[in-house]
Amino acid sequence: MNYLRIWLAGARYSLVRTLMFRGDFFVWSLVELFWMAVNLLLIAVIYRHTASVAGWNEYEMVLLVGTGMIVQRLVTGFFWSNLFELGRNVRTGAFDFYLAQPGNPLFMVSTRKLDPDGLVNSVIALGIVIYAVHRLGLHPSVFDAALYSVMIVAGLVIHYSILVLTMASTFWLTSSNGIEGTYFTLVDFSRLPREAFRGIAGVLFVWLLPVVVVSNAPARTLLHGFQPLWALWLGGVAILWLIVAVTTFNMGLRRYSSASS
Amino acid sequence: MTAVVAKYRQVFLVGLQSNLIYRWNFLARGLFSLLRLGVSVILWSAAYAGVAKIGGFGLDQTLTYFVTLILLQFFIGAFNEDYQISEDIRNGLINQFLTKPINYFLYRFSVFAAARMVSGALIVIPVVLFLPVLRGWLTFPHEPWRIACAIPALTMAALIQFTIAYCFGLLTFWLLEIQGFVILSMAVETVLGGQVFPLDLMPPAIFHASRFLPFFYQMYFPAAILTGRVAFPMVVQGLGLQLAWVVVLLLIAEFLWRRGLRRHTAVGG
Repeated sequence: MNYLRIWLAGARYSLVRTLMFRGDFFVWSLVELFWMAVNLLLIAVIYRHTASVAGWNEYEMVLLVGTGMIVQRLVTGFFWSNLFELGRNVRTGAFDFYLAQPGNPLFMVSTRKLDPDGLVNSVIALGIVIYAVHRLGLHPSVFDAALYSVMIVAGLVIHYSILVLTMASTFWLTSSNGIEGTYFTLVDFSRLPREAFRGIAGVLFVWLLPVVVVSNAPARTLLHGFQPLWALWLGGVAILWLIVAVTTFNMGLRRYSSASS
Repeated sequence: MTAVVAKYRQVFLVGLQSNLIYRWNFLARGLFSLLRLGVSVILWSAAYAGVAKIGGFGLDQTLTYFVTLILLQFFIGAFNEDYQISEDIRNGLINQFLTKPINYFLYRFSVFAAARMVSGALIVIPVVLFLPVLRGWLTFPHEPWRIACAIPALTMAALIQFTIAYCFGLLTFWLLEIQGFVILSMAVETVLGGQVFPLDLMPPAIFHASRFLPFFYQMYFPAAILTGRVAFPMVVQGLGLQLAWVVVLLLIAEFLWRRGLRRHTAVGG
């Protein structure tokens, strides 16, 4: 309850800030919107020349990419800039400030602000998914839609864990310039259908790293209905990676010895 | 003349040193670029599963195109030049150039050339490391005229890349924050420069229209020459259009510089 109040205060502060810098909000929303359009453009260009990619037709692919976008925009909206700053703060020692706050450090670090542009664009990404569902003539039941939402949340947990793991490496590396590239590189792979991965890439991105399951599991639920195996896989991976991320963060915390003055 | 050359050669050498500081950054970026190439490889391999040719090109040709793009990015691409110029203006560092007999554009271009020398040398390392994996897909055409045409195309592409970044940097004379615009334009340049997909795979009408934009000549055009995606008549025509864009962009840069300086109040120091 206390945490909810803290989070709400942070959210209110972020909204007020956004209202102060309206132009900024507008430009950044446009930037994200444009990048989403770029992904759709790529699909349009590829399907001009072929009817199926790894067994997925054009609108199934839009559904898959749109699902990935929802998760990614939610991460941008809720966590990205907070965790990005974690890297910088550990380096400069400004991280002390979070440790002094009365609350779990990971919670305080992760939830300081919101990025409303990411949240606005997650709604647009949802619109893209709904459009794809409509074009495919799918009629998901209420249960499927609810399951899809839960799976999106599980995907959010996975992305959050990857991001925490990436940024927590600053505790050991001190110079983490460009380390966030790891996260973006991994996320890039989640736009692809599971069937496209073969050989070593399959082992790495399908089984070892949780990038393919994030977008494929929810998209499949809309396309083919509830598939227990995919649901269990997604849930299991989300829990596992969250545990790894939190443990790593706490280990890093013990190493942290406040840089500079 | 020799004095002028010596002056900018000095700038180039200093630029070389200051960019060597960022060698690990460039190296890390190069590695990430190659890892991200994995996305293109997986996606296009799957797209080619049922068809032998897409847009008249085989899978190996398309993958060669993407590998070439990575190399070009590090050899001729603009990285954060716009940001550096913007910072110069905002912090008042630009004032020192106004009182010295040095041309700011040439100064910045010399630093840019030095930076690409460093990043270009550093992308070679991961590419060579990955060569056993990459080699299976790489297929370059052998016509000698392609090399002869690629040299001016690459030089002008570098000039276009830099000058666009330079112009965006100069916008700081009017705007406080250019970061949003820069990223927005980067997105446009990425698509219309052919970095998301080879432009020739677009519908013919759009492809034809894109040839009249400067972005076409930033990346796609030199890469297409080197990887055999354009034929000789179009290359000759393209070199003409590319030259025209270089001139236009240089004129815009000069115009923005003159207008901007009139607005500039030299604060700080």
